[in-house]
Amino acid sequence: MLDPLSAAMKIAGSGLEAQSMRLRVVSENLANMESAGRTAGSDPYRRKTVAFTTELDRLTDTPLVKVDKTIADPSPFRLEFSPGHPAADAKGYVKLPNVNMIVEMADMRQANRSYEANLQVIKQARDMISMTIDMLRSQ
Amino acid sequence: MIDRIGGALSALAPAPASFGRTQDVQPAAGNFSSTLASVVGSAVDTLRQGEAAGIAGIQGQMSPQRVVEQVLAAERTLQAAIAVRDKLVGAYLEINRMQI
Repeated sequence: MLDPLSAAMKIAGSGLEAQSMRLRVVSENLANMESAGRTAGSDPYRRKTVAFTTELDRLTDTPLVKVDKTIADPSPFRLEFSPGHPAADAKGYVKLPNVNMIVEMADMRQANRSYEANLQVIKQARDMISMTIDMLRSQ
Repeated sequence: MIDRIGGALSALAPAPASFGRTQDVQPAAGNFSSTLASVVGSAVDTLRQGEAAGIAGIQGQMSPQRVVEQVLAAERTLQAAIAVRDKLVGAYLEINRMQI
């Protein structure tokens, strides 16, 4: 059985990894904001979101967080009138990804805040452990 | 003399030292020295892991979060080991200074 402070550090570490995965997905969405299809009428890049899940680490009996899977956002694509584009359909409309920059920014902010919170947990646990060890040192 | 001290302290043996990866430590029955040896052994293991994590991090094979986690565990174990060592050395010195 791991002691609770070390377990807290381990769990917060898994949170850090999950949040970095989320930031990665946000960056994919932002980078592909204008990625249309190649052939006429084809679908463009579809926005992705992440789903988190709890994973029990059996060795230490701690519930860690991890990214379960990335989910494709089913919302409709934006349409833009651009007859010269290779992906334009018969009426001259091009389908563009369903990525909204404001939403991505909000998501990024949330990932950032979550990351900071997990870092704070690690800092705090570390301080508490070293304070305890310092008890051994000087009377 | 040191063996004598080890024998005298054997009553303490079942009490596990509560630092580091104590779940690996099987306190040896009735012998403080062997308990200490197994605790130190697992501490050395943790330090090695931290070192390996540092190298893997530099080579880009491990995420920075993992590296930090392992190196912090190693640091914490080292601090605890040094504190315990200082205590033990202090105890032996104290006994050496005893009036005869």
